[in-house]
Amino acid sequence: MTRFLARRLLTTLVSLVLASVVVFGAVLAVPGDPAAVILGMNAAPEALAAVREQLGLDVPAPQRYLRWLGGVLRGDLGESIQYQRPVARLIGDRLGVSVPLTLAAALLATLVAVPVGIATALKRGTVWDPLLVLASQVGAAIPSFWLGLLLILVFAVGLGWLPSGGFPGWDVSVGRSLRALALPVLALGLGQAAVMTRMTRAAMLDVLSQDFVRTARAKGLARRSVVGKHALRNALVTLVTVLGLTLVNVFVGAIVIEQVFALPGIGRLVLTAIGNRDYPLVQGVVLLYATAIVLMSFLVDLSYGWLDPRIRYA
Amino acid sequence: MTRPQRWLISVLAAALLLGSAVAQDPPPVRGGTVTVAISADPPGWDPTLSTSQEIARVTYGNVYEGLVRFDRDGAIVPALATAWQVSSDGLAWTFTLREGVRFHDGSAFTTDDVLAKFERARDPDSGHVNTGYYAPVVDVRAPDERTIVFELDTPSRSLLYNLARPDAIIYPRALAETQRSQPVGTGPFVFARYVEGSEVRLERFDGYWNPELPYLDGATFRIIGDANARVAALQAGDVDYVGAAIPPEQVRVLQANPALKIASGTATAEITVAMNNARAPFDDPRVRQAITHAIDKDVIVEGAFFGLGTVIGTHMSPSEAYYVDLTGTYPYDPERARALLAEAGYADGLSFDFELPEPYAIERRTGEIIAQQLREVGIDVNLSVVEWGTWIQRIFLAADYDMTIIGHSEPRDINIYANPDYYYQYDNPRVAELLAQAEGAATAEAETAAYQEIARVIAEDAVNVWVFSPANTVAVRADVYGFWVDQPTPALDLTRVYRAP
Repeated sequence: MTRFLARRLLTTLVSLVLASVVVFGAVLAVPGDPAAVILGMNAAPEALAAVREQLGLDVPAPQRYLRWLGGVLRGDLGESIQYQRPVARLIGDRLGVSVPLTLAAALLATLVAVPVGIATALKRGTVWDPLLVLASQVGAAIPSFWLGLLLILVFAVGLGWLPSGGFPGWDVSVGRSLRALALPVLALGLGQAAVMTRMTRAAMLDVLSQDFVRTARAKGLARRSVVGKHALRNALVTLVTVLGLTLVNVFVGAIVIEQVFALPGIGRLVLTAIGNRDYPLVQGVVLLYATAIVLMSFLVDLSYGWLDPRIRYA
Repeated sequence: MTRPQRWLISVLAAALLLGSAVAQDPPPVRGGTVTVAISADPPGWDPTLSTSQEIARVTYGNVYEGLVRFDRDGAIVPALATAWQVSSDGLAWTFTLREGVRFHDGSAFTTDDVLAKFERARDPDSGHVNTGYYAPVVDVRAPDERTIVFELDTPSRSLLYNLARPDAIIYPRALAETQRSQPVGTGPFVFARYVEGSEVRLERFDGYWNPELPYLDGATFRIIGDANARVAALQAGDVDYVGAAIPPEQVRVLQANPALKIASGTATAEITVAMNNARAPFDDPRVRQAITHAIDKDVIVEGAFFGLGTVIGTHMSPSEAYYVDLTGTYPYDPERARALLAEAGYADGLSFDFELPEPYAIERRTGEIIAQQLREVGIDVNLSVVEWGTWIQRIFLAADYDMTIIGHSEPRDINIYANPDYYYQYDNPRVAELLAQAEGAATAEAETAAYQEIARVIAEDAVNVWVFSPANTVAVRADVYGFWVDQPTPALDLTRVYRAP
């Protein structure tokens, strides 16, 4: 087990370094000058040069990258060009919005998708099957930002039950902050639920067609026991993989949802940072995303061993 | 603009005002707050370090003041200076400073702060923007503690106007380094709290030099990037005032809502189709004229923007004091367009790149319609959308483009046509001559005539196609009064705003 862990740690680190190089290169390759973004259109060339020097942009790229990497290893993510505050602080402030949003949306997606996915698998061949499949198709096709705007129109503008956007802050009011997250979680989670439903259905169908299920039924076991105990447990490995994928999709989908609902989260932060060519901020956020995703996939892999006794790690 | 036209527009404006406010506005009420929706936060809050209009929208008149300022009609009125005069030779401007003014941190406003500010403003290496405005100024001195004198080496009629601009504001000399993150000024509101990407909180400044103002106790600027989300927030009651672009089709919807008020006024932007005058085919004036003739501006404003704008024929918006209507220079005439193209050797048609800036919906919508209108005279454009950072880098700074479209919202910036390196690549020394004439003009009438002549020269040269100046549309809750309807400068001035149920 220790060898497995050691190997995984190594590949994780290599992935993270690769991700950071790719992002650094990508942002650099796009034309655009942070100094011009800061100073605006009518800036004089001397002013632009002065700002670029101030920001350390006159140093060649590989050197800048190594300098940044060195900082990261010391726990210093650098300073945002736009906001002139430490990147780590800016990200930290936003975690309080993005993490609850992401986790709640993933939870909602799971709570909807698993029962519905199992139901569609069981009802295969009946009249419900095509209807439920159609519903999940439509749900998966609806863009989350459109769903978000629709929810705003209905619940915020029409009924006035929930705010149309913004986030008061956990320190200001827990109740109002929860209400501010309600519609975004719904918009993000329902879209993912539709996609997840299809995957759950496929996983259950696959398991239900296996020999041991037929054996269980032949033995005369109750349906509930066959499905709930035997079939579901065998499908869990696939379901956990799907959960991992859902979390990734929800991370990324949150960027759009944060724009629609004007939530001060990490997604909006990175979007404006890219537009402003705020290199340190973009790198910091992408590193965070990459770390989170790599960590999640690691946890998912670990869980396999626990869920399925046949899987052992060399 | 001819006199009867100006009269007609005044009558129409009065009718609009009457129509939108049947009764007299109620008297000002002290107290209350207002939540304003804006579209973005700027890279830093110091207006002397960045020309981003987002800074001015929140801080002009609210947090910061200069020697003089614009009022809601675009007139230049006293702020930190109470009176001024210019010497007969035009080489010395004397300002009398207001007494008893304090900054938000409690320190006194003195001539030291004014001198420090203009030392930076005149120094191209200081990072201060628009140092060119102060080029004729050779010295700024304070003969006594209530007087500031600007010594010039050549008369400059535009000095007073430039002293009212957002970058001419004055802050404490000791706090120059921290203004980016914590603005401190002399205005009626204190910059109390800033949550990046989320909101700005302003609070009444009890030490303001005018004890009757402001009426409001405070204001919150909420940053909502999506235009539709801003409108939804207003309708849901989450914000009281939309201070950023409202999609024109939403205006009808909002007008039908009895809890809201809509007002429409002039603004300073000119939606400009810029052509690279140094590059073929645009180096041929007949091609530029043909393109101007091919564009039906009325249809664009009426059709795509529901009449919320004024068709223009040169680089001037109707909010400009010197405004002259030159829409008749090359009117919509597709036959003439085709004839000119044939004369220039493009009878078989023409093709080039037309690049639209991604963040600006008005420009993109206008550009798409223009592409279609050009097709009807045989010009086939390759339409593409360009991301903002790239637009600034390649198109604006490097002038590497054929044709693009952008709104120029800086007021009174017709002087850009004197710069042959500007992205239009238009080289006509006559413009610089006329600018010098305007600066040194003996009377206001001569100054106006010179500016109007510049407008005529560039219109006749068809340097660009100036399509229209979008109206400033304001949407507020019905109990909000005192807001600016026009935008003579980008500002969401809340000084005289109040809420009266």
